[in-house]
Order: sequence, then C-alpha cells, then structure tokens
Amino acid sequence: MGIESTAHTAGVGIVSPEGEILADCKAVFTPPEGSGIHPREAAQHHVAALPGLVSDALADAQLAPDELALVAYARGPGLGPCLRTGATAARAFAHAHELPLLGVNHCVAHLEIGLLEGATDPILLYLSGGNTQVIGYAHSRYRVFGETLDIGIGNMLDKFGREAGLEFPGGPKLEALAAGPELELLPYSVKGMDMAFSGLLTAALRKFADGMELPRLAYAIQETAFAMACEVAERALAHTGKTELVLGGGVACNARLREMARTMARERDVACFAPSKALCVDNGVMIAWLGYVMQAGGYETQPQDDRVDQRFRTDMAEVTWR
Amino acid sequence: MALNYRGAEAVVTACEWHGQPAIEKRRNPRSYRHPDLEVRLVAERLRAEARLLERASEAGLPVPLLYAVDPTAATLVMTQLPGDLLEHALRAPNGAVWLPLLGELLARIHAVGIIHGDPTTSNFIARGTSDGDALGHLSVIDFGLGAASDDDEQRATDLRVLLESLEAHHSELNAREPLLAAYREWNCSAGALERLAALEQRGRYNLVRG
Repeated sequence: MGIESTAHTAGVGIVSPEGEILADCKAVFTPPEGSGIHPREAAQHHVAALPGLVSDALADAQLAPDELALVAYARGPGLGPCLRTGATAARAFAHAHELPLLGVNHCVAHLEIGLLEGATDPILLYLSGGNTQVIGYAHSRYRVFGETLDIGIGNMLDKFGREAGLEFPGGPKLEALAAGPELELLPYSVKGMDMAFSGLLTAALRKFADGMELPRLAYAIQETAFAMACEVAERALAHTGKTELVLGGGVACNARLREMARTMARERDVACFAPSKALCVDNGVMIAWLGYVMQAGGYETQPQDDRVDQRFRTDMAEVTWR
Repeated sequence: MALNYRGAEAVVTACEWHGQPAIEKRRNPRSYRHPDLEVRLVAERLRAEARLLERASEAGLPVPLLYAVDPTAATLVMTQLPGDLLEHALRAPNGAVWLPLLGELLARIHAVGIIHGDPTTSNFIARGTSDGDALGHLSVIDFGLGAASDDDEQRATDLRVLLESLEAHHSELNAREPLLAAYREWNCSAGALERLAALEQRGRYNLVRG
C-alpha cells in the first residue's frame, strides 16, 4: 500500500508484486476561488480524507490489512503539513497492523511508475505544479539532468490562470481555451539543460493586462513552455543515449504536451510512454510500487526514512535497490 | 572529428568550401515546435554561436575558423580541425597528459569572457603526442550552448560539466586534481573555484547532504 500526500492530492493505492493495480483512491483538495493551495488547509483536508481512502482502497483490493506486505508513503518533496499527515497515517496504520513502513521519494515514484507501462530505463519528463524536472538513472543514482531554475511549469500555468480569472487549476482551462495557429512570441528560456518560466509568466501577464485575447495567449503559453520542456528532455536523451521517455505529473495530462513529446520521441527513435491520467497525477499507486521495488531490491530502511523531508532531492540517495 | 555526427542540436557533415575541406553544422528543425518559434530560435542560436566563434578566434583560442553563416539554411561552415576527439584520446595509455592542457584551455576560454556551456570530452579535439616528448595540442569546438560572460557562477558550471563528463567516462584517470591544478594557474580562477565548491554543496550535485 502506498500513501501520497505531498500537495493537494491525498491518495491511497494498492499494487501487487506483478504490478497489477488493485486500488487507486484519491481525494483532491480544491482551494477557494481566487486563491492557491494553503498548506495547512490542504493538510486538514488530507487528515479528514485519509482514513476513508485507506478503507476504500482495502475494499477495492478486497484485502485485509494483514495481507499487505508493506506500507509506503511519500517522504517528500512537498508541502510540510501535507507530508506529515500522510506520514502519520502510514505510521499509524503500519504500527497497528505490524507492517513494515517505508518512506519514498515522490519524484522517483513518478519515474518508476513508467516501468509499469513497459519502460525499462527511461528518462522521465516530470511536469507538475511544484516540480519540473528531467530525471534518469545513471551511475547508481537518479540524476536530475535538467530542471526549472525558478517556478514549476504547472505553477506558472495556474498563476496565469488565477490572474486571468480562471478557476484552479488553471492548466486544463488554458488547454481548453488555447487557439492557434498564430503564435505570439513569449520569452523562451532554456539555459543549457535547465529552464525558467517566470519571465514567460511576467510577459504573458503583461500582454493579458494590455488586452490580448485569452485563447491566443493560452496558445502561446502552451507552445512556448511545452517546447522548452521537450527540448530539455531531448537533450537528456541525447546526453545519456537512453531510448525511452516517460511522461509524468499533472501537466503531462495535457494533450498538446503529449503530442509534442511523442513527436520528439518519434524523431529521435525513442519509445514514448505516457501513463494514463490517473497515474500521471499524484497517486498512491506509484508510492506503493516504488516501495515494493525498493523492498524487493533489498533496500534496508535507514533511520532518516521515518521522517518527512520537504526538500527531499531526487539525487540525494544512493540507489541500492536497482 | 566524427563526421556525420548527430547531436542533440545539430548534424555535422564533411563538406568543401571553395576547394578547402570543411565541415558544415546544420541545426535540424524540430517539428514539435511551432514553426515561428523554430525560426526565431534557430536564428538566435546560430547568431550567438557564430559570434562566440569569432570572439574566440580573435582572442587567439584554438577554435575552428568560421567560413560562412547561413541563417536561412541554419548552417555554419567552418574549418575541419585535424585530430581525434578528446573522448578517445583520453583512452590512450598516456591519456592523462591531456588533463593539464584541458584545465589550461578552459581557463583561457574563461579569461576572454566566454562560457562554453557544454565542455564535455566530446567537444575538444586532441592532436599529436605520438612521439612522447612533444606536448599535444588541444582545440575546442561547439559553442552552441555558450555565452559571453565573466560570471564566476557560469564558469563554475562549466567546470562542473567538464568534471562530470570526466568522472562519468574516465573515472580511472582521477582527473579532478590535475584538471583543477592547471585551471588554478590562471590568476583569476579563485572566484570560479569558490563558486564550484558552493555549487557542489547544493542538492543537485552534492553526494552528502549539506
């Protein structure tokens, strides 16, 4: 069983050792109109939601607690209060049913879920509200090949959406509004393997304030930001020689992003795996799966594993389980 | 130099320039990008790379000479440098002789206000040490990710990229010390080396949590 609570989603997933998804239960905190996620309010939402999600997941999987082999939870990175609720729930459940407990890295979980889709050693293009990274496994560590230097790509979309009067999350609304093919030029900021989105956000907000129509701006924002993300992923593929690309994160649900990533992969002769929307967004299944992979790979729990870590870096821990 | 090489950005092929053997670097278009965006990026990057190459050769750095720039065809034509990729030269029995030269060359690049942007072992050309006593000659190529800057933070990033490339492909050389020792000879290296130490403490690169 895996428990996810890094941001606005509380999720409980159960997965079998063969990778069969037995349960995928989620509850998403929706902030009041015009505001973003307040960590404490989201955490209160998770506190209320998690017990029910655990029962639902067990019911969906038709399993009793003592039939589980492990309880895994996302240790980080994420919002502190949210992380602590998931960790507390996992700890309480594990202790009550005398199950082993394992804290795992949320970003690595997004990558490893790609293995359920058929990938073996992919590059992950991970695009969500808080995280924007290109990750791969190399030299016994998960490496960050490129990442945002300022704000997450989803955060940029949501912030623009909020200023433009759209409901949270703004990304899907912008996707629905976007209309081309005329391209308004916005700052395109790829620096080596890294990208930056705050300049794009500022320029887009200025154009919006100057009266540019929303569909045209939404189109320009998507075309520019997604091309940046695909370019960085392509560089990582070229640099590592890897032949698989996995998409992850809420923004990876965007149809235009998926199309661009597929085109890039095809032209490079790279296989592109785009997990279903349910597995791209934050979910408990990927936490359960990574916990299982680590446990099966002989990972031994370290003392620090039982603590949440808001800034848990993808490349922090040596990988002993692969 | 490997000809008909396909990188992340461009395809490099052998060609002729008014009877001279030359190489052509063509940026391949990305069909996932909007055509207007593509045109803008190609023009910007081609111009930036051409400028850096000019600046580097004016400063006397060992770089290919630029013959032609064609923004419409997205191509640069330049001299073909004799020699072998440093990546291969480092695998020779006396491969380590290149490390001080490499540290010195990166310092020279930085000293004239250029950040290479991608100083991996595939972007240096090594020529001749076969007779053992004469020192070889090292040149640098591909300024496609480069910038004109005196920023120590960016210099440190260059150093980090080079060290990572050496550690990943040539860990047996223990390249770090000889490389940095040569770089340190440059009288303005202190700032960049200080930034390098700070950079390596950061989460992205650190091996021990700082």
